[in-house]
Order: sequence, then C-alpha cells, then structure tokens
Amino acid sequence: MRSLWQWLLPTCVIAGANQAQANGWNMPVGVTDISRDIYGLHMTIFWVCVAIGLLVFGVMFYSLFRYRHSKGAKAAEFHEHTSVEVLWTAIPVLILVGMAVPATATLKNMYDTSEADLDVMIIGQQWRWRYEYLGEDVAFNSNMSTPWEQIRGEAARGEHYLLEVDEPLVLPINRKIRFLMTSDDVIHSWWVPDLAVKQDTIPGFINENWVQINEPGIYRGQCAELCGVNHGFMPIVVHAVEEDEFEIWLAERKEAAEQEAMGVDREWELDELMARGEPVYRAICASCHQAEGQGAPPAFPALANNAQLIDDLDWHIDRIVNGVSGTAMPAFRSTLNPVEIAAVVTYTRNAWGGDTGDAVQPASIAEKIVQ
Amino acid sequence: MWSIIQSVLAALIGVQKDRKRQQDFASEKPLGFIVAAILVTLIFVLILILVANIAAG
Ligand SMILES: [Cu+2]
Repeated sequence: MRSLWQWLLPTCVIAGANQAQANGWNMPVGVTDISRDIYGLHMTIFWVCVAIGLLVFGVMFYSLFRYRHSKGAKAAEFHEHTSVEVLWTAIPVLILVGMAVPATATLKNMYDTSEADLDVMIIGQQWRWRYEYLGEDVAFNSNMSTPWEQIRGEAARGEHYLLEVDEPLVLPINRKIRFLMTSDDVIHSWWVPDLAVKQDTIPGFINENWVQINEPGIYRGQCAELCGVNHGFMPIVVHAVEEDEFEIWLAERKEAAEQEAMGVDREWELDELMARGEPVYRAICASCHQAEGQGAPPAFPALANNAQLIDDLDWHIDRIVNGVSGTAMPAFRSTLNPVEIAAVVTYTRNAWGGDTGDAVQPASIAEKIVQ
Repeated sequence: MWSIIQSVLAALIGVQKDRKRQQDFASEKPLGFIVAAILVTLIFVLILILVANIAAG
C-alpha cells in the first residue's frame, strides 16, 4: 500500500502541474529572460509552499487522528520548550531569506533600464494605446480592431476576439527595448503576460520598464487598470520580428510619415478626405459617437443631424483639436495628424446625410494646431 | 546588563524561558529594558539598511 502511494502521489502532482500549464491556468513561461526568471521563481516558491503545506497538515492530521480523545489520549502539560520554539522561528526565517535572495536579484534586473538599444514611449488613452519610437519620428495609435457587430453579438466571434488591433507594436528581438510609459487621461496598465510586463501608465508620470524578446511571435495583452466604459476594448498586440525585418518596417513607417507630412500642404478633394476620414472615424470616434454618428446621449452627443456642428465649422474643429474639458472628449491635437483631423471633420460633416460639401483642408488644421 | 540585552533579543524573536521572564518581572525599574529595546531596534534597522545597500550595490 505504501509503495503505491509513493509512486502515485508525485505522479499526480507532476501531471497536475503539467495540466495547469496546458490549460493556461498557470502563468506563461514567456519569451524574455526575465519572464523565465519570474516563472522559475514562481514555481520554486510554489513547490516550497506545497512542501510546507504537506508537512504541516500531514503532522496535524496525523496527530489529530493518532492521539484522539476516544483512544484515551491525554494532553501533555508543559509550559514551554525553548529549543523547539527557536527552531520553528528560525526555519521560516531561513526559508523566507532563501526565497528573498533570488527574488531580489530578479527584481534588480527588472529595474535596470540602462543601456537600451531602442526607446519606445507607450501612452495610454481612453481607449487605445499610442506608441512613439523616440528619435525615429515614428508614432501611431493602436486601436482595437474587433468589429462592433461581434461585440453586440450580431456576428460570430473571431479567433482573437477583443485581442486584436489595427496597428500592432512592432519590436525587434534580441535587443534591449526601454519602455517609457505614461497616460493622457486616467491610469491605465500595459500588460503583456508573455513579456512579463504589467506596468501602470499614470498621467503626469513616466514609468520605465524594459524587455529583450528572445523569440519572434505575436504576443497579446490588455489594459489591466479599470479606465472607463471601454476598458475592455483597448487590447495590446506586440509583433516581435527579426532585427533586419524590424529595420525594413521602421524605414517604411518613416517614409509613410514623411508622405503624410507632405500631404498637409496640398489641396485635398472631398472624395479623398471622405475616404481617409472613414477609417479614422471608425477607429477613433465610433466607440463613443457610434457607427452612424447617432451618439449615446447624454454622455456622447450625436454627430449626425447635429445643427450646431453643421452650422459652425470652427466650433466643430475646435472640439476635436482641443477637446472638451470636463467631458470624455479628449484633445486630438497630438494624437491625430492634420490630415487625419481634416479628413475626420470632413467625414462627420458629410456622412449620414449631412452633405455640407465642406472639404476641410489639412493646411487649415495645421494652423489651428500651432495656435 | 547582559541579562537585559538577552531579554530584549528574546522579545525580538518572541521566544523566552518562563524562568527568565519571572526574573525580569521581579525588577521594579523598566527604564533599562526600554533603553535597550530602542537601541537594539535601531541596530536592527541599521543592519537592514546595510543589507539593502549591499544588495542594491
Ligand atoms: Cu485602460
């Protein structure tokens, strides 16, 4: 009987641990050295706790059973046993110190953001992430791309429901990347389990963190700090790519940014602006003002058939460039570029039966942003 | 003197012999214990600071 238990118990325990990993109940091992260190610490400390638990409860239940009242057990009447008391104080101290030493070493490593190869600013916004590659003139917003039809249950859910974005954060593998993390509005938290990063982004503060990714792949995460109604709709997607692939991507993004900057000065046609404005509206505006501009009053006013908006172009532009203080409407002067603002203003003035015919020029928006 | 320090150290980890406890409580003046306890606590904190500095070093 004893030999059966000796064999069965460890087998069950190891099988259970593997099962937990396979089902995603356990934390992921991750793809950085730090995530692996954290996973190793977690498992070491977990097994220490299991051993202590088995020992303590084993002795307790054995004693309860073996020395039970019905068998005539008599309590020992003594006041103290100094050496036993010293022992059961000293052993936990040694266990705690033993766990603290490797944990502190990992923690020190995690906080060492020096000598990074690349700096990426991560900015939380209600409700999207913005990424700025510092010193590279590349910056973009990353919006959730799950269609609202899926969220409302009108369409079947996709494979990466609520965990997909229009523009992922692209990072090179094998390079130390420093994250500078802040927020434009409320506290968010940038959390990607496979990278072992979960860092609050706080308005007015810059938190630092870093990763060095070992394996190319797609790593997904979410905002982990309740930040308003669409908190569940600001996922994170990281594309980790080979270093040369990253350089090509970065060069393409730089080129696109230059093209866009040149577009500010030229005259735009109404059709062009409408075509450019629609995806911006869907990505940025529709989560509050709804797909057809019907809004969700009183918090989110309707844009379709909004008389004030139609009558006063300057007022309309000012709301978008500078936001409306005291409401959920943020200023988009630094989040969207002049072309995008001109396009989305044009779109909202002409879609849904507005038909004002206004083709708002990016150059005029650029002037207003400078003011 | 040594007896007082020993009692303070025992109090720090929370283990004391009953015989020693009764001996300590036979004394009328608590001042020695109070001063020794404050000093020992200060030394303990300084040791923690030192360890933390070595670890962060
Ligand atoms: Cu958030």
